[in-house]
Amino acid sequence: MSRTYSSREENPVLDTIAVWLYVLLVLIGLISIYSATSEVNQTFQFTFSSVAGRQLIWIGGAIIIILTIAFANVAIIDYFAYGFYGFAIFLNIAVLFLGKEVSGAKSWFGFGGFGIQPSEFAKVATALAIAKYLGTYGIRFKGTRNVVITLLLFLLPMLLILAQNDTGSALVFLSFFLVLYREGLPGWILLSAVWLLIIAIARIVMEATGISHLWTMSILSTITGIIIYFGRKNKQLIIATLVVAASSAIFSIAVGFAYTKILKGYQRDRIELVLNLKQDTRNMGYNLEQSRIAIGAGQFVGRGFLKGTQTKMGFVPEQHTDFIFCTIGEEWGFAGVLVFFGLYFGLLYRLISLAERQSTAFGRVLGYGVICILFFHLAINIGMTIGIVPVIGIPLPFISFGGSSLWAFTLLLFLFLKVDEKRR
Amino acid sequence: MDLHRNRKFVYVGLLSLVAIVYLVKIFQLQIIDNQYEQKAINNALNKIPIYPDRSIIYDRNGKLLVHNIAIYDLVVFPSKTKDIDTAAFCEIMGITGTEYHKFMQTAKENSKKRQKNNVFNGSAVFMSNLSKDQYSAVQENLYRFPGFSVEPKTDRLYAVKGGAHILGYLGEASKKLLAKDPYYRPGDLVGVTGIENTYEAYIRGVKGVKTVWQDRTYTERGEAKDNEFNSPAQAGPDFYSSIDFDLQEFGESLLANKRGSVIAIEPSTGEILALINKPDYDPNLLVGESRAKSFRQLLIDPKKPLYNRAIKGVYPPGSTFKTVMALIGCQEGVLKQATLHGCSGGYHLGSLTVGCHPHGSPTDLKGSIGISCNAYYCQVFRDIIDNPKYQNVKSGYAALEKHLHSFGLGNKLGVDLPGENKGNVPSIKQLDKRHGKNWKSSMIISLAIGQGEILLTPIQMANCAATIANKGWFITPHLVKGIGSNKYLPDEYKKKHFASVGELYYDWIIDGMEMVTKPGGTAFGTGINDIVICAKTGTAQNPHGEDHSLYIAFAPRDKPKIAIAVIVENGGYGATWAAPIANLMIENYLNRGKEPQRPDMLDRIKTSTVY
Repeated sequence: MSRTYSSREENPVLDTIAVWLYVLLVLIGLISIYSATSEVNQTFQFTFSSVAGRQLIWIGGAIIIILTIAFANVAIIDYFAYGFYGFAIFLNIAVLFLGKEVSGAKSWFGFGGFGIQPSEFAKVATALAIAKYLGTYGIRFKGTRNVVITLLLFLLPMLLILAQNDTGSALVFLSFFLVLYREGLPGWILLSAVWLLIIAIARIVMEATGISHLWTMSILSTITGIIIYFGRKNKQLIIATLVVAASSAIFSIAVGFAYTKILKGYQRDRIELVLNLKQDTRNMGYNLEQSRIAIGAGQFVGRGFLKGTQTKMGFVPEQHTDFIFCTIGEEWGFAGVLVFFGLYFGLLYRLISLAERQSTAFGRVLGYGVICILFFHLAINIGMTIGIVPVIGIPLPFISFGGSSLWAFTLLLFLFLKVDEKRR
Repeated sequence: MDLHRNRKFVYVGLLSLVAIVYLVKIFQLQIIDNQYEQKAINNALNKIPIYPDRSIIYDRNGKLLVHNIAIYDLVVFPSKTKDIDTAAFCEIMGITGTEYHKFMQTAKENSKKRQKNNVFNGSAVFMSNLSKDQYSAVQENLYRFPGFSVEPKTDRLYAVKGGAHILGYLGEASKKLLAKDPYYRPGDLVGVTGIENTYEAYIRGVKGVKTVWQDRTYTERGEAKDNEFNSPAQAGPDFYSSIDFDLQEFGESLLANKRGSVIAIEPSTGEILALINKPDYDPNLLVGESRAKSFRQLLIDPKKPLYNRAIKGVYPPGSTFKTVMALIGCQEGVLKQATLHGCSGGYHLGSLTVGCHPHGSPTDLKGSIGISCNAYYCQVFRDIIDNPKYQNVKSGYAALEKHLHSFGLGNKLGVDLPGENKGNVPSIKQLDKRHGKNWKSSMIISLAIGQGEILLTPIQMANCAATIANKGWFITPHLVKGIGSNKYLPDEYKKKHFASVGELYYDWIIDGMEMVTKPGGTAFGTGINDIVICAKTGTAQNPHGEDHSLYIAFAPRDKPKIAIAVIVENGGYGATWAAPIANLMIENYLNRGKEPQRPDMLDRIKTSTVY
């Protein structure tokens, strides 16, 4: 440590609040995994070969990662950012050829009994690379070249992961748009995205209920007509409105085409289930219903630790990975959910304040990368279990079973905390 | 350079918005909507019935009659049988594809019904009563057929070959019963007739419940202990029947190859010692896999082996009825021990003649019974209903009818067997219809000798014998001696019913009954030397063929131990078949362990065929 840091040396540790929140969430994850994979009311049994035992081993690995980061020189992070990114891209290409197929996705490297999912690490690498790029002296998220490079940095891994047929993980990269908003991405782009989402949902609803494009067009024309009538003095508004209306119309037709011709049947099902367009008590609909039953059965105080029959008896699918939130909801009830949300959103709010206190663009972009990736996972994952987001198979960070995701999110969080520790 | 510092509020806002929206949705799921906990329990908790053993049935001497055997049902959760290899399944179970679909359809319907009264178990019986081969085959292959499981139940095992109409049989619970009593589930075995039916509520025991956790594949995942639904099965209490099975078996051998009924009652208690019908069937036919098939065969058998004529068959009582008529005459004051009536080959009144066999004339009361004089009873009958103390014949008849009812005639006795017939004591209304409003005693005179509209069941006849043996009272005949360790006996089988004829007169009639098996009596030659048998023969005219041979009796005269009624259809004179059968049975019961005195008669009866 050189003396130049002396003014900040009163607190030369990783942010205590964030670390404690992390520790609590990981423990909640471990307990939930143990419960989700045990028999009802069984007496305490623990082996390292059990699911919870393996998670404990992953946690051990995560501790090594944390200690390594804690004692490493922060300069390394900055120095190796692109190297790490390059390596991650390489792995994600390699997995296309060397990976093993797990439930339709070719996104795993298998090593004996264990597997590594390079897409998890691509999130970290991408967050680092974008932070590094936008943190480079003289570069801001402005100008075609900079914007294109930034977009390429995360669209490239996204495409690779799409090629692995792991749609869920690929979608996570969209959260970088949210990161870029902080760096100056115009708000209207995000608003347009929301607008397009509304159009897409509307079109899908109509598509599923058999309402023709004519309706979409007439509604759009009516709205356009009204806006133009009232704003007829304002030439710019008229042009903007016409552009929006035209692009919306084209988009709507494109969505209709994509929905009926490109999406696979099961993907349509998932979307229609969430939009309540379909009553399905088997298969996916059954899973969603079971997930809702699990959470609903928790009531206020929960059914009690190890008493959640929905999750333990296999009614809820993937109960220790993607649907781990069901165990929390079922066994700890609304009280437990409140605590859990408190901790999780507490961590996210804390990370916002940490990101905001960064003096470098690198630190800030990395911070928002962490926030947006975690938030995207949290929102999609829990939204899926309570039935307000389509089923997208992504884990709940720190909670879901799995070494790759735990290590990747730990790495992501603690790299940022390390950067924060050494902020100037 | 940070140009967009204020945008952090957008992030805080977005996070908060999502947190609030999600919490509201979760609040709605967990707190507002309260259907989910029950749904979760319904998913995972399965109430499995534990079938208790049915009561073991013994005879009055503790001889084992009926016990139990474990059987197995194949049970299915219809909703869980996706992707079953139907062909392999059918091959293993030895059924056809059509049968498979039929069984599955039934199971589906039944499982829905069950979900109404037991939401914890959506299973239903697919095939009941697996054969040994099916059982072992399916046990080995169960893992291949998710949704199927094997549940044990109990079926009957008979230690004896006789007593079919007493014991009854089991059958699958009918739709009607299932609708009425939620205790039963489709496929349950219940007592359909006999003791099994009457005492079903005791004999069935109490089903237990084992609640288990079951996972999504309906695989049991451990017992749910400390659960409000758990309870052990309770076996039915030991059931002691009043039957003397040695007597029953002996009687069955006597009645073999004949058509008819024998009922023996212990007069002092109303306990039925033997209840025999021929033709009958071997109760062992109606158990296990062959139950349904055997039952169909028995049902269409023209000999009607399932027909319990002892309580359902009705016959004119013929001359046996004279005993009751005499008692009523005495009570009405129109008949004394010394009353003499003449007989000139019958009873003549104008154009009316009721024939009688040749015998000395006139006779007194004792003689009238001993030799069974028809003319005597025509006179007694007219004296009763044309008695000047009544304004008219109808009120006289009403008095007679009342007396008859007091003997348990024309009403159901209340025997503990289902389907008892009440017989027929013609009402005034009935007579009006038959004979016109202005009938006279002479028009219904055949009632005097137990013919005409009067019809009794064999058990009513036996009960008359018991009532006379008791000199004026009877206890409703019953097959139960005691249930369980404290030998519970329903109150209705402790209560004495008094006939409306006073005790005073019985000895006069019994004197006559004693004479029946003595020289000059109608059944002379069928008696047993060392037993004083008091009896009355009867020959019931049968418009469809040969007369029925009837006989009622009790013995010994002092402290009677057994009262009996025998009817041999188309057997002709009462003395020919019914009397020897009854007397041999009396001997068997009272002289237990001694050599039979009448081996010739015994042999003749056993080897004869009467149809």
